[in-house]
Amino acid sequence: MKKRINIRKVGSVWLFVLPALIPLIVFWIYPILRSVYISFTDWDYMSPTYNFVFLDNFIALFKDDRFYDALWNTLVFTVGTLVPTIVLGLLLALLMQKAFKGSGIVKFILFSPWITPTVAISIVWTWIYDPDTGIANAVLEFLHLPALQWIKSSETAMLAVIIVTVWKSLGYAMIFYLSALEKVPGELYEASGLDGAKSWQRFRDVTLPCISPTTFFLVIITMVSSLQAYDQIQILTQGGPSGSTRTLLYMYYQLGFEEFNMGQATAVAIVMIILTVLLSAIQFTASKKWVHY
Amino acid sequence: MKIKTGIQKTGKIIILLVFCVFTVFPFIWMVLSALKTKAEVMDVSAFFPAEFQWQNFYEVIFNSPLLKYVANSLYVSAFTLLIQIVTGAMIAYAIVFMNFKGKKVLFAIIMGTYMLPTAATYIPSYIILANGGLLNTYTGLIISGCVSIFGIFLLRQAFMQVPAGMIEAARIDGASHWQILWRVVCPMTKSSFITMGLMNFITCYNNYMWPSLITDTDEKMLVSQGLRKFFIEGGAYGTEWPLVMAGSAIIVLPLLILFAFTQKWFINGIGGDTGMKG
Repeated sequence: MKKRINIRKVGSVWLFVLPALIPLIVFWIYPILRSVYISFTDWDYMSPTYNFVFLDNFIALFKDDRFYDALWNTLVFTVGTLVPTIVLGLLLALLMQKAFKGSGIVKFILFSPWITPTVAISIVWTWIYDPDTGIANAVLEFLHLPALQWIKSSETAMLAVIIVTVWKSLGYAMIFYLSALEKVPGELYEASGLDGAKSWQRFRDVTLPCISPTTFFLVIITMVSSLQAYDQIQILTQGGPSGSTRTLLYMYYQLGFEEFNMGQATAVAIVMIILTVLLSAIQFTASKKWVHY
Repeated sequence: MKIKTGIQKTGKIIILLVFCVFTVFPFIWMVLSALKTKAEVMDVSAFFPAEFQWQNFYEVIFNSPLLKYVANSLYVSAFTLLIQIVTGAMIAYAIVFMNFKGKKVLFAIIMGTYMLPTAATYIPSYIILANGGLLNTYTGLIISGCVSIFGIFLLRQAFMQVPAGMIEAARIDGASHWQILWRVVCPMTKSSFITMGLMNFITCYNNYMWPSLITDTDEKMLVSQGLRKFFIEGGAYGTEWPLVMAGSAIIVLPLLILFAFTQKWFINGIGGDTGMKG
């Protein structure tokens, strides 16, 4: 009798876990292991046979200038997106902290880009960036600044992609900080206020440490999503001009789905996974020093 | 002192105004460009159209396949979302309310996949769908997207607020886990379900990279891919910017309206405020 109950109990656990676990294994965990395997082959997708080449794909990758360019571009893009998103997101949250007339509308406006499809808004930005007839250069001209080639030049294309990405994610960071600021206990402010602390000191000694878990979380999230940025790059620049906006992910896409070099492509994917794990591990270790829970 | 706070207040308003203009401008420019003639759109000095060219919208709505793409996306997103909610709620329920071996390992695996770059799985996932004959089918798209790790997190977070005593009481009354999940836990955590539903719907509807790899025929295209096709098609004789902008506006504006009415659920989901309100 007792055994039957146990079987029923175990059965219901499986019943509740498997509907999510099976797709998770088939479309997440197995593909990652499979990627490791493919990265050791020279498979070209079309032919039924392939050779085992062990580390050749990785060695070829580490000898390829394109790879280092992509690595550098990924770094520039990640840092270039991360820093403004977090700093400006916090600034906006601080300004919005006290509700005022119209603060609901401001919140709505600042957050709205986040829910719009990246493809649609990237098309709009392509039009804004047009060097001859776009409004971006008209604005620069109005400010008496030199016109830029924006996405048409390898000098400025990355900047253009970063602006679109920051534009889209700024409101998201602001909302995160707003709810973190709400949770800062009021008595901490009062305590520091009694000490006659200046507002900058109060911000540095009370607010920043209190919201550090949010900052930590935002750093991780923005980093992971920067590593995976594809839509805006595909629409705005397709990795160009001359590879100036080709990130690791975009290189992976081109190798895999344009050149059908599956071995090389999965090798890039493995590098991306290792990078993510490494960066997260560094963040977690470092966070012990500056995150106060 | 009064002057100082006055300056501060003005400064604050100016900064917020600059950011709002910067944020809202692309949307306004999109709509304005959609209402211009082809000649006006090429002339930077013409900020406003002389006459609103509403027929640009008419043209896109009735003479382009854009609405078909919207319908495709709605169909795929609705099905994906439905399955995501069921699978997510069930596994979150198991993790929070059931005791079993390997629970910690299971949760660690789910946590780990949350951080990993999804695109790294695309090549093998593509091969799996190809082997199953599911390329260019909605079935392939839906089953490959039927688990939302974000959703599992959000629901787990909410379920942990439900007192364990309530589950035990329902068990003693003879309710099955399935009944408890949908009749006890779900009503108590309704707000998290709504948040997850909205966030995942938007993510799914806006999704581009994976669907564009899976679907390649015109009939099956989802909205982002279809819009891109519409965008690059005119490329040969110079992009028809007014029509492209009208197309983008038709995709973007309904989402902004939806968002205007559901803002609080998004903000709750992001702010991590997923307690048992509402």
